[in-house]
This record gives sequence, C-alpha cells and structure tokens, in this order.
Amino acid sequence: MQQWTLECRRLGKRFGERWVFRGLELQIPTGTVLIVRGANGSGKSTLIKLVAGLLAPTEGAIQLWHNGSPVPDRTRLLGWCAADGALYRELTGYEHLRWWAQARGLPDAPDALMAHLDRFELAHRAHDWVRAYSTGMRQRLRMAIATYGDPPLLLLDEPDAGLDPSGLKLLRQVLDEQTRCGIALFATNRAECAGWGDLALELGA
Amino acid sequence: MPSAPGGATLRSSWVREIRAIWLKDLRQEWRLRQGIVASLLMGVATVVGVGFASLGQTLSAGLQAGLFWVAVLFGMFPALARGFIVEEETGTADLLRVAARPASVFWGKWLFHATLYLLLSGALVPLYALLVAPLSGHLGGWLLLWLGGGFCLTSVLTLCGAFVAQTAVRGALLAGLTFPMLLPLILILIAGSRQAIEGVFPAEPLQGVFGYALALSAGGAWVFEKVWQE
Repeated sequence: MQQWTLECRRLGKRFGERWVFRGLELQIPTGTVLIVRGANGSGKSTLIKLVAGLLAPTEGAIQLWHNGSPVPDRTRLLGWCAADGALYRELTGYEHLRWWAQARGLPDAPDALMAHLDRFELAHRAHDWVRAYSTGMRQRLRMAIATYGDPPLLLLDEPDAGLDPSGLKLLRQVLDEQTRCGIALFATNRAECAGWGDLALELGA
Repeated sequence: MPSAPGGATLRSSWVREIRAIWLKDLRQEWRLRQGIVASLLMGVATVVGVGFASLGQTLSAGLQAGLFWVAVLFGMFPALARGFIVEEETGTADLLRVAARPASVFWGKWLFHATLYLLLSGALVPLYALLVAPLSGHLGGWLLLWLGGGFCLTSVLTLCGAFVAQTAVRGALLAGLTFPMLLPLILILIAGSRQAIEGVFPAEPLQGVFGYALALSAGGAWVFEKVWQE
C-alpha cells in the first residue's frame, strides 16, 4: 500500500494585519479523514486553500510525502471541492469531467467518465449545461471532479452544503473510500458530519 | 514518480493540458460568442469608419499602414484581453488553478486568443482591403508582419489580461498597462507595413517584431506564473 503523509509545519496565514491562524502543526497519514471545524472566519477555507495551493502561506510550509519522499508538486495529486467553487455554466457535467481528466492527465474514455458521473447520480443529466443544474447537482459535480482519478489528497470545503440526504450518504461513501488509499481534509460545521473523521481540528479555538 | 491507483499522477503531458484549456475556451466561446461578437463589431465599425472617412482619397503608404494596424488593434482588444478577466469574474479561476499548471494555463489561453486573432483578422483584413486600401506591395512581408504581429498582440493582451484580472480597476488598468507594451510594437508594425506597401521586404521591422515575440514567449509564461499564483 502506498503511504502518503500531509505535513504542515508552523503554518500561518495573515490577511493584512490579521492573522487567521499561526503556528499550525499537522501530520496526517494515509487512511485519515481530518475534520476541520470552526466558526465563520476561523480559517477553515483558508486552510483548505493553502493546502490546495490556491493561497501562499505567510509563514511555514506544507509538504506531501509519498513513501517517505517529498512530492515535488502536491497540487497535481489533489482533488478540491468547495461549496462556493464556481463551475463553467456553459459546459455540461460530462464536459467538465472530461476537461478535468485531460488537464490532469487522467483517463478520459467516455465509458470511464460516464461511470464516474453515474456514481454521483449525474449520468442522466451528464449532457445538460451546468447552468440548468440545481445547487445539489452542482455540488455532486464538484465532488465527482474532485474524486476522479482517486487523488491521494482530497480537500473538501463544506461539500455538504446544499446536499440532500442521498447526497450526504454519497459524501460519506466518498470519505470512507478515501480512507482506504489516501487522506481527506473535510471542513464542515454540520453537527451530523462531526463524527465522520478520524481526527478533528478546531480552528479559532 | 508518485501516482494513485485511479490514475492521479504527477506525470501529465503539457500538450494535453494546453489542448484541454484551449478546447474548453473554444467551446465556451462558441456557445456564448461574447468576445468574438464584441470584437467583430468593434473591428468592422473601425474599418467601415476609416473606409468612409477616406472615401475617394489616395492614402499614403504610411497612412494605410497606420490605419490597418489601428483597425486590427481595435478589433482584437475586446476579445483578447477578456480570457482571464472572465475567469476571475465568474469565479472559475480557482478551478482552473487547481486543474492545470500555470504555464499550461498561459499557453492554453494564448492559443485560444491566437485562434480568435486568426479568425477575426481573417474577417477584418479582406474588409479593410475592400473598403480602405488593397494590401499591395510585398505580400510575403505582409504575411510575416501579420503572423508576427498577431503573436505579439496575443501575448501582450493575454499577459495584461492576467495582470488586471487580479485587480479591482480592470478597465482603466488594462488600457494603462497595454499602452506602453503595445505602442513600440504598433510603431514597428506600421513601419514594416509601410515598407511592404512600397514593395520592400521589411527585414528590420520583422527582426524587431520577432525579437519582441521571442522575448514575450520566453518571459511571458514565467511572469504569468508569478501573477497567477498568490
């Protein structure tokens, strides 16, 4: 089994004069779901964006390790799903996934893409433009994109927002599967999701 | 090389990434036709206006060359600078940042803008030849100026679009930023086109244009990477 470890060393992020958090130390091994909790503005999304490479840390460093060796570019090996992450309104769900697969060097055979969309119950609307999708369907599509190719590092920023009970069940399945071969960071404030992780990080505490 | 059983890997092809971004942008543009319609309207209005103003007059070589590049620049501006601004305005820039490496994003967008340049100038040049003045003289020189000028215009507007997309005052900054970068290029292109109209191969202006293109292709992706990531 491949061993992945996500390490944050003395991680800090400041916007203007305000430190969102500082001196954060984390070491998350394969098979772990880290639940990130905290009040609004406590830095949950900021932490996810730092790990995704969308923000640069003000201080400290983030490193992904693979079998004891540092991974040179972790951003190529992660899946990212944020509730407020925009999609291309004029592309279909299928086109989104194919674009992602091609940009990431993942298999882009139509059967594989449709099977993945089917897993997220999107196959029947795969060829509709995203602008016609409901909030929950968009969230499912974001999850489908994030999980395609089984990335060893899965970053979920309040993916439970807008999901119906069957969508939440799907999210639980995604997290369970991620623990078999990778790491997940799951930012949420939903009480019923608090027990879905192996570790919990309370920001702003 | 680390990779996941499902396929996630560090080993992906630059060509595949660039092509994916290019095709995505083409597909979106085909469905919305926002950039190309705005550019075409602007370009056609400029050429028709210039043609009407110069009706019945014999234009000097310098004036013909100047008007040609002004029409091309006016036509290209709305479409070519929009790529990154639209990504930021619609909030999809983060998805794009996660999807592909910065150099792939730059060259993917560049290729899309270059395609627009070819399509738009393919429509504007015959119109200019019909309404203002035929492209006479050294046609090989014209062709090289058109290609080299297009490469540089596309690169400058792609890069400046990426710069200003990160800011709040996009319109004013775009004009302010592109002006000093495009003015020397436009002057060289006008000088070259004048020589081409006079039947002389524009060797020195072409050296300048292709030197500018070389500098932009070498530095553009590097500068873009610094701007694209926080």
